[in-house]
Amino acid sequence: MTGGVGTSVRRPDGPAKVRGEFSYAGDLAAEGMLVGSTVRSPHPHARITGIDTAAARAISGVHAVLTSADVPGDLYFGLTLRDEPALADGVVRYAGEPVAVVAAVDAATARRAARAVAVEYEPLPPLTDPQQSLTAPPLHPDGNVYRHVSYSCGDPDARGVVTVENTYRIGMQDPAFLAPEAGLAWPTPDGGVALDVATQWLHSDQTQIGWATGLPPEKVHLRLAGVGGAFGGREDVTLQTHACLLALATGRPVKFEYTREESFLAHRQRHPGTIWLRHSADADGRIVCVEGRVLLDGGAYASTSPVVITNTVTLLQGPYRVDNGRFEGWSVRTNNPSCGAMRGFGVPQAAFAHEAQLDALAGALGMDPLEIRLRNALQRGDVATFGQRFDAPTPVREVIEGLRAIPLPAGPARRAPGGVGRAAEPGSVRRGIGYAVTIKNLAFSEGHVDESTAEVSLCDGHATVHTACAEVGQGFVTVAEQVARTVLGATTVEVTQPDTLIASAGSTSASRQTMASGTAVHRACAAVRVRLLAQVARRHGLDAAGLTVVDGTVCAAGRPVTPVAAAAPGQTLRATEHFQHPATYPLGSAEGGMYVAFSFSAQRAVVDVDVELGLVSVVQVASCQDVGTVINPTQLLGQIEGGIVQGMGLALMEEVVVADGLITNPDFQDYLIPTIVDAPEVVSTYVTDPEPGMPHGWKGAGEPPLCTAVPAVAAAVRDATGLPLPAVPIKPEHVALGLGAAPTVTWTTPRPAAPSRAVNIVVDEEARDAPGTMAEEGAPGGR
Amino acid sequence: MSVDPLVADEFVTFPLTVDGVPREVTARWSESLLTVLRDRLGVLGPKTGCGHGRCGACAVRVGVGPDEPHVLCACLVPAATAVGATVETIASLGGPDGELSDVQEAFLAEGAVQCGICTAGFVTAATELLERHECPSRTEIEEALYGNLCRCTGYGRIVAAVESAARTRRERKDPVPLTTRKLTASLRTGPEAAE
Ligand code: FES
Ligand code: FES
Repeated sequence: MTGGVGTSVRRPDGPAKVRGEFSYAGDLAAEGMLVGSTVRSPHPHARITGIDTAAARAISGVHAVLTSADVPGDLYFGLTLRDEPALADGVVRYAGEPVAVVAAVDAATARRAARAVAVEYEPLPPLTDPQQSLTAPPLHPDGNVYRHVSYSCGDPDARGVVTVENTYRIGMQDPAFLAPEAGLAWPTPDGGVALDVATQWLHSDQTQIGWATGLPPEKVHLRLAGVGGAFGGREDVTLQTHACLLALATGRPVKFEYTREESFLAHRQRHPGTIWLRHSADADGRIVCVEGRVLLDGGAYASTSPVVITNTVTLLQGPYRVDNGRFEGWSVRTNNPSCGAMRGFGVPQAAFAHEAQLDALAGALGMDPLEIRLRNALQRGDVATFGQRFDAPTPVREVIEGLRAIPLPAGPARRAPGGVGRAAEPGSVRRGIGYAVTIKNLAFSEGHVDESTAEVSLCDGHATVHTACAEVGQGFVTVAEQVARTVLGATTVEVTQPDTLIASAGSTSASRQTMASGTAVHRACAAVRVRLLAQVARRHGLDAAGLTVVDGTVCAAGRPVTPVAAAAPGQTLRATEHFQHPATYPLGSAEGGMYVAFSFSAQRAVVDVDVELGLVSVVQVASCQDVGTVINPTQLLGQIEGGIVQGMGLALMEEVVVADGLITNPDFQDYLIPTIVDAPEVVSTYVTDPEPGMPHGWKGAGEPPLCTAVPAVAAAVRDATGLPLPAVPIKPEHVALGLGAAPTVTWTTPRPAAPSRAVNIVVDEEARDAPGTMAEEGAPGGR
Repeated sequence: MSVDPLVADEFVTFPLTVDGVPREVTARWSESLLTVLRDRLGVLGPKTGCGHGRCGACAVRVGVGPDEPHVLCACLVPAATAVGATVETIASLGGPDGELSDVQEAFLAEGAVQCGICTAGFVTAATELLERHECPSRTEIEEALYGNLCRCTGYGRIVAAVESAARTRRERKDPVPLTTRKLTASLRTGPEAAE
């Protein structure tokens, strides 16, 4: 089918975007609109002893100044624990926490009024070390531990001949979507409020706005505004509640648009973390046992910290069969910026650590890095350390073999390291090659309902598709159009702007929207097709069961009957369908698995490193990914390339630097994201083993490339330099000064797993150990 | 380009030409050209990504005085220096009769657009590059576009789009036989076509 599934259909929103006519949240405006501004805490931790808004209110052009006292509903919100006040509640727990909001006639007046709000703070000592958080007095009535996870499988004391262990560190990464947060709220005649906003999850925002405003959900009307990138950073509420509160308070439309600096302060970052891992293996490289401990700094409020930690801990095993192990982790509260969802959701941290370990094992045993990975590769039917059976295609070997088939880049590098200036000295440039293979869970986990609903209508060959799935740049609009063409034979397709008039589609995150909303659209299209074919059957005296839609034409036994566009003149056929993945269960549940599905990915990075200056140029990244099926080759490649470059950013340059609770680099001058000069050549191939239960066998593809690029690039730099480099981002000084400790390699007497030990996983409620004792076990610290 | 703080907050009214239309605007001296365009004149093609000259989402072509017009970050140009300027935004870059330009067309065809917030800036910078270099090397493309950030695409499709637009332009000037062109086109449609 022209424009159907499997073809490189162009984005339907593309023409408006290349003309500069696509409307983004930042472009919103309304008659009589006021502009909002936020008063943020300059302190990472302080008691608020007084707020005086009189001077701000007195400024001409100021329409409202709100503090927590003015929030009519429930002050507390949050994606998981509801521990965060919409406006500070007597205490501020991170620098940048909203204390008051202002609405005024224009941006300059609003900013002036925000500055005029007099907040008296009594600074408290900030708790910025996540290890200390475990034993420190609670920073919040809910305590300091967002979640502690601990489980074991098989016999965690089993040993092979060699044991390697090290402690790895991952820095804080900013999603750095290019369009800062923006939205426009206005009061509605039903006494409610409407909000057009750039978000990833309309219904979650709606619920949380309902809490603060005290309005029932049916009076909180959300519609997606044009979104300029998201990557997880728009999953939490930021300005949504503030804009709605101000619109209700003033009776006028209120627009917020953050500056880049505010964006850094307001949204959630990727969790920085420390991971200790000990792998033991046989002489032939087979993994005998893995022990791991994780500490993630969740920052001031919970966000998704309780979920992220489980991803990191359970996927420490990597895409490898591990029969014996012990795993533990904490995500904790500090006075650092709050962390939450970012593309990869806890897995890049795990992947960086487990892949460094695999290389260390290979090094100790003198094995080829791909060979050791092949030898341990998970297969369909294996059971994960967390008890779930891999009962769908598990093509780990296939992605590794696929990667191996991609030739290395020929000839010398096109450019020297050192950016446009190419500052490197040719004499000190060394080439390195690194490999990584990862596992990423797809969709929501541990019992969080993963569902979506689609309404599809068809009239004279024109299909209209309506869901609440947020298009954030990933290209769901294209996929929806392709499905409507393939299933319905539609000539033209309109994907309407997502809103809360239809049921929730869940978040555009977790690589899940093709699987959830794509499948809902597929089902709704199939339901409309049934109606269409019934009509055609009646009209032409045929049996509906013998009719099909082929390339825009209704056919009977392969013979054209009528074009879809002329099949039911003037009639609108409509269907609404819901899709929900089979249930998932909490870690340790006997009832079923934690995760909906998995994807596997293998990458090889080739780098040139100036070992004197520490400058790195990534020459090429080759990738082979398990994608189920290729829906749109061009869009898929865009996801792979974009993910690889973001992962490379985390590996080499991106870090939100936090000193005493303050972000020191909240701008693109000092927070570096890869430019076109940094971007490597990407060669992308795929393994297409259809995912059971999914139309066309599709599965999510957005996160794995990032998860794999981080360890692959780091491994390549290790290969070029011979340095252990146990921390990312690897900055020039780490290379030039050789910072970071090497894994400890111990030769051990083999101790097979005791047969009496349960094969089932055992979940402990109590902490077995504290992360602070990692070093005492002989693991060297990272940097 | 700094402005005396005493006059920075003063409002002034001045003329400038935006996308071929003479306009008059009242703004504070200290405002950026980007604010003037977006907030005062409602010209929304240039986007705000960072507001401090690091992302290129706000790129526009500005001509002041007798100098050649040049692509600049509108967020870095103080209104005071835009007096009487000629400003061309993405709205000036379409092809004839409301068609897409070859550069815009190539961005769509090659998948160089995802969220699209960077696209106007990239198309603006790439258009200027192709006016100067008929056949830019990969290095020249990088040098022309490294002031533009894209967080979604990883740049691969953007490079492919610029190269493809350059190729189309050359072919239009010096047409190759149709059969060869068709073959090249069909070779470029599979997933591997990307690299
Ligand atoms: S907004 Fe002007 S360079 Fe970023
Ligand atoms: S397409 Fe999103 S920033 Fe470039």
